[in-house]
Amino acid sequence: MNIKRNISNQRLPVLLFAVVLACEVQAVDFKQDIEPIFHAHCIDCHGSDEQESQFRLDRLATMLSGGNSGEPAVVPGKPDESFLLKLIRHEEPGKEMPPGESLSKGEIELIEQWIAGGAKIPESYGPAKTEVDLSHWAFQPVKRSQASGIDEFVRNTLTANGLKQSPAAERRVLIRRLYLVMLGIPPTPHQVEAFVTDESEGAWQTLLERVLASSHYGERWATYWLDLVRFGETHGFEMNRERPTAWQYRDWVIQSFNDDKPYNEFVRQQIAGDTLGAEVATGFLVAGPVDQVKGSDPKLRQAQRMNELDDMINTTGTAFLGLTTGCARCHNHKFDPISQRDYYSMQAVFAGVQHGDRSLPPSPETKQQIATLDAEIAELTGRLKKFIAEDESKLRPSVNARQNEEVFEKREVRFIRFTIQKTTGGDGCIDELEVYAEGSNVALASSGAKATSSGDFVHPKHKLMHINDGRHGNDRSWIVDSAKGGWVQIELAAPAIIDRVVWGRDRDGQFADRLPIEYRIESALEAGKWELLVSSADREVYSGSKPSEPEYQFAKFPAEEAVQGEKWLMRLQAARDEKKELEKSTLVYAGTFSQPGPTHRLYRGEPDAKREQVAPNAIEVFTSLNLSSDAPERDRRLSLANWVASTDNPLTARVIVNRLWQFHFGIGIVDTPSDFGLNGTPPSHPELLDWMASELMEHDWSLKHVHRLILNSDTWRQSNRPNADAVRVDATSRLLWRFPPRRLEAEAIRDSVLAVTGVLDLQNAGGPGFSPFEVEMENVRHYHAKKTFGPADWRRMIYMTKVRQEREQVFGAFDCPDASMVVPKRSRSTTPLQALNLLNSEFVMQQADLFAKRLEKESDTRPQQITRAWQLCFQRAPTDEELADSEAFIQQEGIQQFTRAMLNANEFVFIP
Amino acid sequence: MTPFLNRRHFLTQATTGLSSIALASLLDQQRLLADAAPIRPNIDPAKPFAARDTHHPAAAKNVLVIFCAGACSQIDTFDYKPELIKRHGQPMPGAESLVTFQGEQGMLTKSPWEFKPRGESGKMISELVPQLAELADDMCFIHSLTGKTNTHGPGENFMSTGYTLDGFPSMGAWATWALGTENENLPAYVAIADPRGTPQSSVNNWGPGFLPAAFQGTEFSALKPLDNLGIPPGVSAKTDRATRSFLERMNQRHLEQFPGDSELAARISSYQLAARMQLSVPEVTDLSSEPQSILREYGADDSQNTLKAQFAKNCILARRLIENGVRFVQLFNGAYQTGGEGVSNWDGHKSLQQQYSKHGPVLDQPCAALLRDMKRRGLLKDTLVVWMTEFGRMPTFQKGASGRDHNPDGFTAWMMGAGVKAPFTYGATDEFGYKAAENISTVYDFHATILHLLGLNHKQLTYYHNGFERRLTDVHGHVIQEILA
Repeated sequence: MNIKRNISNQRLPVLLFAVVLACEVQAVDFKQDIEPIFHAHCIDCHGSDEQESQFRLDRLATMLSGGNSGEPAVVPGKPDESFLLKLIRHEEPGKEMPPGESLSKGEIELIEQWIAGGAKIPESYGPAKTEVDLSHWAFQPVKRSQASGIDEFVRNTLTANGLKQSPAAERRVLIRRLYLVMLGIPPTPHQVEAFVTDESEGAWQTLLERVLASSHYGERWATYWLDLVRFGETHGFEMNRERPTAWQYRDWVIQSFNDDKPYNEFVRQQIAGDTLGAEVATGFLVAGPVDQVKGSDPKLRQAQRMNELDDMINTTGTAFLGLTTGCARCHNHKFDPISQRDYYSMQAVFAGVQHGDRSLPPSPETKQQIATLDAEIAELTGRLKKFIAEDESKLRPSVNARQNEEVFEKREVRFIRFTIQKTTGGDGCIDELEVYAEGSNVALASSGAKATSSGDFVHPKHKLMHINDGRHGNDRSWIVDSAKGGWVQIELAAPAIIDRVVWGRDRDGQFADRLPIEYRIESALEAGKWELLVSSADREVYSGSKPSEPEYQFAKFPAEEAVQGEKWLMRLQAARDEKKELEKSTLVYAGTFSQPGPTHRLYRGEPDAKREQVAPNAIEVFTSLNLSSDAPERDRRLSLANWVASTDNPLTARVIVNRLWQFHFGIGIVDTPSDFGLNGTPPSHPELLDWMASELMEHDWSLKHVHRLILNSDTWRQSNRPNADAVRVDATSRLLWRFPPRRLEAEAIRDSVLAVTGVLDLQNAGGPGFSPFEVEMENVRHYHAKKTFGPADWRRMIYMTKVRQEREQVFGAFDCPDASMVVPKRSRSTTPLQALNLLNSEFVMQQADLFAKRLEKESDTRPQQITRAWQLCFQRAPTDEELADSEAFIQQEGIQQFTRAMLNANEFVFIP
Repeated sequence: MTPFLNRRHFLTQATTGLSSIALASLLDQQRLLADAAPIRPNIDPAKPFAARDTHHPAAAKNVLVIFCAGACSQIDTFDYKPELIKRHGQPMPGAESLVTFQGEQGMLTKSPWEFKPRGESGKMISELVPQLAELADDMCFIHSLTGKTNTHGPGENFMSTGYTLDGFPSMGAWATWALGTENENLPAYVAIADPRGTPQSSVNNWGPGFLPAAFQGTEFSALKPLDNLGIPPGVSAKTDRATRSFLERMNQRHLEQFPGDSELAARISSYQLAARMQLSVPEVTDLSSEPQSILREYGADDSQNTLKAQFAKNCILARRLIENGVRFVQLFNGAYQTGGEGVSNWDGHKSLQQQYSKHGPVLDQPCAALLRDMKRRGLLKDTLVVWMTEFGRMPTFQKGASGRDHNPDGFTAWMMGAGVKAPFTYGATDEFGYKAAENISTVYDFHATILHLLGLNHKQLTYYHNGFERRLTDVHGHVIQEILA
């Protein structure tokens, strides 16, 4: 099937062939005046034989749309907007056309007049609209062929190449392979024996289901996903500081795999989880590195922001769609039908996404806990009132630069206004204004609230949108435009019953200037009908940066009462701390969202070369999201998410089943797993790929279903032994005449070591990670490898805090990515440093020791200990030769040296 | 056989181990690479560091990079500007509204160090680096480099990896991936961090990016040994040998079941190589065989300035590594651990004179001695020495400060040794040393030239990653022919 879609050129004036009144312009005849110039100077490189920069001058459509630059070459009637003229006038440095020569002044004028006159052209130059060829296999709908299953496709290809499948692997091999591939840890000797001796017909299925139901499956496969989305728990770049709340996204991925969340839902939630009840999932958008050092130079700052957005566009494109969308940043994609305009349309989708922690709506449970604490705090404050020194009892403490809480009777409101009357000096500044209804902040822009003000001080750090963006600190604050005062107002998305307003100058505690010290807060249910909620009138006069707690005087009360009072005060302070802690735990590094301004296409990707404005959209040849330029921020991401995850999308299902295949067999059916475009490699088994993609979609996008198909195939269960004839034809086993053996990844090696030595902590799953580094907490963080290890370090490696740039000292050398970049497929190298690390590191030596102790504890005689070691490490008994060699070796060098060698063995680190 | 397999066979991208990523012949069909088809190094998985062919005859076999972290000021070292001296204390025309990294500009400010003509060429170099200055006749200066960022981390990334972003392979990783090394008993690529710690962008400067981890720079110095190199405490050398030989017997028996499996065989040889490294690395880092005269010349015996003495030891180590055939050595001067903003690196924002008065002597004598020593030993015939920093600094002082802000618009690097003209000066900044004005060069050009000198075509040295044919020079760069000898 050959699908073609029309794309309309939006810049194309409708009047192209209409009669142009060219009274002043002398009529220029294309055939006579223009074509000869093109033929003499241009057509060799921009004609039917060659299309330098994908531009040709023998077609109307490409003249109008332009070449790779994304600039329209000819804009009929508008010479000044026509890129062609810029180039032949030598106004574009480095792109002077024709190369090495100049058209004459007269020739340039003729072309200019021709364009000014409407660029009339003979019909032989074809239509104004381009037909985009979408016949590339991956752009066509998934096509299901009739087949009994995976094996049929694989055998057909093998037969065509004169090859055949290998016999089934023996059970000990199968169970080792299954555990390592699916769970990333070896099976225990007990599990092996149970399977090997299970004579029931469904032995394999029983085992397989147990493995698929294991929570270790998510822990294993999440590693691959986190590689793919460049997930890290530090910011990267020179400061490389921590992201202490980012781990929740890692746990969300693990949980999603374990729950077998439908893949389409998994995708949608990562792009727009904030609207789909999966807030943590948008950690995907901001999982990449971000430069925290922003210079003052506005152009370079802008370039940094463009890089942040590029990271989101490119990761979304490669991870979900297998399309290198990032290639269209500076020019039209060289191979795929992705224009520069498409790129910036996608930028408009993400333009409202900022890196940072987002405060999540507390869970009902947490909400309840906070409410209980609030009640207790109120109760204790009331009880303690009588102890307050009398002259101060009527006043609240003075304002505080960090945070002020204003509590009042519940009331229903739509508008809240904060009026600044006096500050500690200068124009007043507020970093965030929060309004609480039932424990949730309803003032956030992301929940639909709108901010207005009497006027804003203009500065990149201080913007009106910062007042309710959920982010704190000076860099995310608002400043009123007058030292005399002014107001900022929030209109809630809907009327709400509120009981608390929280505001501050700088919650990071860095700044205390510009602090509003005289203010009033009013509310209204209907616009304009303001009622006073609270004000500074009942506060103590501001006297400095320290907030003044009321002073309690217990001494003048009877001893019993005083003791009681002191207890209440202690409890009050504890309750406040508990509350603070509960509020903190709802932060997650999942980005913040705010309504973005207009997005423009940028010529050559340069921030100061703005071209036409673009509306949020996906790739035009595939779909239209039908959004307006000012579409609400969340609608943009949700629309994109729906398109990516739709069954009509030809790429999404194919891309993910190919990834699953790759992680099973070491190489994908398409071995450019993140490029299914024209520049990628063709599939080795195209029909199989489509068959699995349709299986996925027909089974509610269940990844476990695809795993089952693969694991139940003979292809997966065949032997891994080489065969000289087959090696000659297909050395890399790409056609799967055997199961291709390969070395384990860093994580699986580390987890396997801990598993066989018996110290792997499988219980402590999820939650904040453990670090392999001692961190020097300088402005720029420094990471020093830990030298001693204990049980806290013996969790699975997926829970090791992922520090960008710094590779873990022992296992990092095993091609473990540093999360600076998207990694769809790890390299697999073999180096002497790996050998040194596994032989000599403190970590492995300690494990060798623990392993030795385990063996001596669990078995009495040397032969039993050796056999046990073999079963733990290799899932088999040693041969007589191996046993004898080991016994002799242990006698000479001791059992620790034996266990040290075992942990270094090829057989131990290979998937059989 | 299907055409599919033919193509694969033909276009397999060699890496170490079994991982080989096919590159579609589509690339050729689509003429992307019509004039620059990728040349994949032919890597034997069992010997990933074996020396490999260059693309064209190479002028240089090895590279020594001397990296001054923190952005060493061209204005105070190598870029002499009489007009700046004349206009000292006046505003820089057009700088009224100029906002650089930290903010606004103060007045044009001449260097606190005097410039003097050096060598036969008479090249004007400042008194901040008097001993290096004496080597002016051996140097090839590029005064017109331009960068893309004015922030340290991205700036170091750019100079070391060709991208301002994190995660791209370093120049040394590209070079060793392409060329392997002359001495497989030593790491092919060594990064020697400053005695005070690592540069701002830390391990990015010698990272493998998406290239196989084998080609990552190995970090050690005269003060800090290679991690996990030594036999574990409590294990005798004899026992260690016995254990390795027991392990090898185990692995050989396993290999018998997989005859011809290159990845398994590669792992066996990696242990043999590791054992050889355990002997050769301590040998090369042991400076006790260096005569007193050498220690003195480098300043390694300077008891007054321990920092200089420590850096001098790193300089001696750098020479020994090059002498022993290490392909790529990066020697860092300046770190971030013990203080940013010029305290322990060249980031002279606030009080340049005071800070550089400390850093100049640390760099000057050891580094000059290293270059003289290499020349005496004939090492410069095969070795390209490249001095660089992340970007330049402003000819003005910052408003309200006595130091210079970042300036990526015109800065200096120099080369010495194999393949480059000397004495030679290429390109120039404007009258104040602010912006590159003559023969403006990019960092891409700079990298293309270094690869060219190593016998590599920067357009053909590509690696397929995540849908892109990546290069050190992105899609830019021209070899600076004028500086080639």
